[in-house]
Amino acid sequence: MPEIFLNGQAVQAREDQTVLQVALENGVFVPYFCWHPHLSTAGNCRMCLVEVEGRGLDIACNMPVSAGMKVFTDSDDVKAHRKAILQFITLNHPVDCGICDKAGECTLQDYHYAYNGEPSLSVDAKVRSTKYYNLSNRILLDNERCILCLRCTRFTHEISKSMALGIERRGDVSNIRPVEDRPLGEDPYSDNIVDLCPVGALQSRQFLYKSRVWYLKATPSVCPGCERGCTIQVWHRKPEWFVKSLDQRQNTSIARITPLENPAVNGPWICNKGRDLARIFERVRADQPMLKGRPVPVAEAIDAARRLIGAARHPVALVSNWGSNEELDSFKRHLGEVFVHAHVKTDWQPEEGERLEDDLLIRPDKNPNTAKARELFDMGEPNYHDGTDLVLVWGEGYDFSRIPPQAKIIFLNSYLAPENGHADVFLPLSIQTERAGHYTNFQGVVSKFEPCFPKGEAVLDAEALFKALEAPPRGHT
Amino acid sequence: MSSRKPYVRKRYWNEPEMGWYERSYFFEIWRGIRITGGVFLANMWKWMTGRKGALTAYYPEEIRADYAAHNRGKHILTQRPDGRPQCVACNMCATVCPAQVIEIDAAFDPDDPEHPKYPSRFEIDYSRCVFCGLCVEACPEDAIRMVKETPDLPGFDRGRMWLKQDELLNWQPKQDVAKPYPAAGAGRTRGAP
Repeated sequence: MPEIFLNGQAVQAREDQTVLQVALENGVFVPYFCWHPHLSTAGNCRMCLVEVEGRGLDIACNMPVSAGMKVFTDSDDVKAHRKAILQFITLNHPVDCGICDKAGECTLQDYHYAYNGEPSLSVDAKVRSTKYYNLSNRILLDNERCILCLRCTRFTHEISKSMALGIERRGDVSNIRPVEDRPLGEDPYSDNIVDLCPVGALQSRQFLYKSRVWYLKATPSVCPGCERGCTIQVWHRKPEWFVKSLDQRQNTSIARITPLENPAVNGPWICNKGRDLARIFERVRADQPMLKGRPVPVAEAIDAARRLIGAARHPVALVSNWGSNEELDSFKRHLGEVFVHAHVKTDWQPEEGERLEDDLLIRPDKNPNTAKARELFDMGEPNYHDGTDLVLVWGEGYDFSRIPPQAKIIFLNSYLAPENGHADVFLPLSIQTERAGHYTNFQGVVSKFEPCFPKGEAVLDAEALFKALEAPPRGHT
Repeated sequence: MSSRKPYVRKRYWNEPEMGWYERSYFFEIWRGIRITGGVFLANMWKWMTGRKGALTAYYPEEIRADYAAHNRGKHILTQRPDGRPQCVACNMCATVCPAQVIEIDAAFDPDDPEHPKYPSRFEIDYSRCVFCGLCVEACPEDAIRMVKETPDLPGFDRGRMWLKQDELLNWQPKQDVAKPYPAAGAGRTRGAP
């Protein structure tokens, strides 16, 4: 354990560490653009310059620690050089923060105010380059804003292994460009480079000009896209910035989704499917309880369901593997005695052309909570027989023609579907963005999600619903 | 002045000191009616005989002449030479606005590389605007201004108090922006040999 001196403070370091890692670990912030804890060291931005006594200035990200070295991260020399480097990096940067989606969370912007604060000293016109270069159908590249830190190329080479990005030419005509025969559009992790980009050069088409980032807040959540259960941040509008005249749906819709760093599950990455959850969550919702297609108040529908459950002799339940741990527990606790035959239903099948599995994150089962559901209930298709007189279907994705015709159906679903009207009792459920809970992923790691949006008046939380359905009064139908 | 009464602190700072004449109510009321009615009748007489000098201004046909040149009145959005808004939908005005009355929807225009971002909707709620002028100061493009006039501000329902982009652009069109386009001194293109 070599001991080094950071600004005069003695700190312990491991031999394999660099000065930058030691500094960040000990709460001494050293600014950096190109370095990233999960990528290889490139050392091309020169932003993390520190002064070592007797050795002068060098970059901290590529400097191994040696015993007794005296590092100064804030000396006058370092400050002056940082300022000069920022001048150099912004030499041809267009400074169009006003129309840049990164503004507000931009590293360059933050460092400029923290370490430079001066307008450009250059008298020459800025070098112009390609704007809105079409990298894929998800990502646009603005070469003027690019500071050539190469985080994106290193990501495609080291993490996603698609090798889809490279760099062409040198000097101020150097550009990030896609490699011809390896399209970035086929990389299922491509959107991570938008988060990696320290400036606004890589722009997500989904989020392009959708909202300024300071109008948004991030709610921690879990991606239900597969059994990996990556932790994500759902960005939605802050209540104090709700629009009053513009489209009201802006207030309750997902603006974008970014990964929430979680070393136990997904590290700092998620796949593109996780970014597109709005496609799943923002389908047309079912918000009205119904009896055979006839809209009724919530209390009446719950009563009808209780009567059906009370009268059933051979009830069967199909349990959703999109239910949270709490909801599955609640079902087991309150309805487990009635529904002895409770089987786990697979709500979501892989879509056509979707990647099934790879060695980074994506898993073949496209449902978030199969692990917990398997713990509590039986797997596989239930055995219907002539006596089956009630089937409770929780969640979507089940073909009603498999249910014997004499059986009554209680259907719990969140989205508008033709089956809703065919069920004897239909009850609308809240979705993941409207309630709190936990999912257990296939490794057994439990992750928490929190609500972002209010649910509709007649929409029920499954956990409370199962409690309300418990102990149905037997004997009267 | 030996008969001066002892000082009694007033219950409130301008509590009136009234004698029997004021307390009797009738004379004071009559005096008030005489003053108000006198002004009213004099004004009405001037109006009936068509003479100037009545105190009432017939807003909005008549506008007070003593508005200062820098009075902060109704907003305008400046136009580029082709009539499109100078605004780039950066939301600086909406962010700085202390009453949060400005709402902007941004859109992408791939055909205009110099101005790829433009406002598809730009709306100001005049029922809550405090006319502080911070939006004008925050604007980096000289796209929003406040002119001294305040025409047609009153309305009969809240919905009507939202000023839409079309009216902001066109009720008093202005093109003399301080930041003209295209930007002077466009540099050489990176990637060119």
